[in-house]
Amino acid sequence: MPDLAGTQARFAAALTDAAAAATAVDLFRCDPATATRRLAIYRGNVQANAIGALQAAYPVVRRVVGDEFFAGLAVHYARAQPSADGDLNRFGDRLPDFLSAFEPAQDLPYLPDVAQLEWAVHRSHYAADAPPFDPATLAAVPPERQGDLRIHLHPAVALVQSPWPIARIWEIHQPDFEGEFAVEPVGGGQRALVYRPRWRVAVRPASPGEQAFLAAGSRGATLDVAVGRALVADPGFDLGSRLPVWVAEGVLAGLDLPP
Amino acid sequence: MIVTRSGTALQGVGIGLRAPHYGAFLDGDPAVPWLEVHSENYFGDGGFDLHVLDTVRQRYPVSLHGVGMALGSVDGLSDRHVEHLARLVERVEPALVSEHVCWGRSGDRHFNDLLPMPYTREALALMVERVDALQNRLSRRILIENVSSYLAYAHDDCSEVEFLVELAQRSGCGLLLDINNLYVNAVNHGFDARTALATIPAGVVGEIHLAGHSKADDVLIDDHGSRVGEPVRQLYRSAIDRFGAVPTLIEWDTAIPPLDVLLDEAVRAATLRDAPADA
Repeated sequence: MPDLAGTQARFAAALTDAAAAATAVDLFRCDPATATRRLAIYRGNVQANAIGALQAAYPVVRRVVGDEFFAGLAVHYARAQPSADGDLNRFGDRLPDFLSAFEPAQDLPYLPDVAQLEWAVHRSHYAADAPPFDPATLAAVPPERQGDLRIHLHPAVALVQSPWPIARIWEIHQPDFEGEFAVEPVGGGQRALVYRPRWRVAVRPASPGEQAFLAAGSRGATLDVAVGRALVADPGFDLGSRLPVWVAEGVLAGLDLPP
Repeated sequence: MIVTRSGTALQGVGIGLRAPHYGAFLDGDPAVPWLEVHSENYFGDGGFDLHVLDTVRQRYPVSLHGVGMALGSVDGLSDRHVEHLARLVERVEPALVSEHVCWGRSGDRHFNDLLPMPYTREALALMVERVDALQNRLSRRILIENVSSYLAYAHDDCSEVEFLVELAQRSGCGLLLDINNLYVNAVNHGFDARTALATIPAGVVGEIHLAGHSKADDVLIDDHGSRVGEPVRQLYRSAIDRFGAVPTLIEWDTAIPPLDVLLDEAVRAATLRDAPADA
């Protein structure tokens, strides 16, 4: 009698590869032809679940390439990088890298970066909550110490940089987008800021100064250091005008003095 | 030691809360006695799904139904998965927590499907150990659900129902009896569902699931994509006669209908449940 480990290993092999079904059919009560057909149902379910999870995480990539191409991509990806987690919302993290090497997608060179932005959006959806930053707390800090304040970005914030206009590509592929379906300039690179005002994840382009400031902040920089980085990237950077925008967007979680 | 929570008993016919209906539950109070969610959809650290769950939890009793623990996998449980469930249980304080008699992992690979266990002594011992470990970690009794299957093993040494009952008796868990799955398996594997039902002791069933199924060639598939079929409703009525009015859930996971249809299906089940015994 096959033990449990052997049973599951043979069943698993048949789920991974149709050709392995022949070595599993004698586990089952029905005739081999029926067992082969029913193993195929399981194999189809596993594949459908993987495709469904990737569709949920990568709606823009799917709209760019179309349903049929996306289903094929999903099948190839699931074979190369199968799910390792009982939570399907974590499946698909390596699709950006996979796309870089995926031969049929080579004529869409921006696609891996769009996928990287979508994964950041997907993770942002599940990121921790944080109370909105209250700018009034700044008034309590003596002006000479404000440069020492440490920046805390909201946990749902992410930055994705690309030589392609990924924020614009993301925007025009949103289901509720009503503007002109065009990307201009076609070749322009973008820094995309991912944030989550009131639960719904949003994406917008970030200026070079914003990108530099927020990237420094995400590494635990003080206000002085982050402003310095921002000014190097963008001599016109103005913290005073940016701060209220970030507060309204929920980009900042807090500024505090290290003890 | 298993701590059983009292005072959180569910009553009536509830529905599964799915994302397309979030708005209706945030904007109003749809008439339904309780809600069940898939635990894994709330494993995030924060965000909208948890916000919705926290909100509805203020107004409805909630049951957490796991679909990804793969309890019977020989390769072991994922500590991460167990800890995420424990964190969610602590946050939501659900009326019920449930999982399945199934496996789903092999090596590094997770199939994200509810794969059937062979009904052997070895498999039973493993399931008892896993259920016991999970109950201890969560400090509460859990319910374990029977899955539907398209294949039955040649080397089973007991029936599915015998396996379920002994699992419950040895681990102290309750059963989440999915009437649709029992019916689907009876057709797929050629046994009499009513006879099987009659061998389950009355006190062990803590919840019932009802759902739709479809037929593909020679096999029934529990696709949870339609109203509850008539044979399943009749079997449900037999279950109520035997087990009493245990909390019941309408599951509808594919081709999710408008909320009104789902609520109507719950009312239909409640009407059937409350009809006189010989109706």
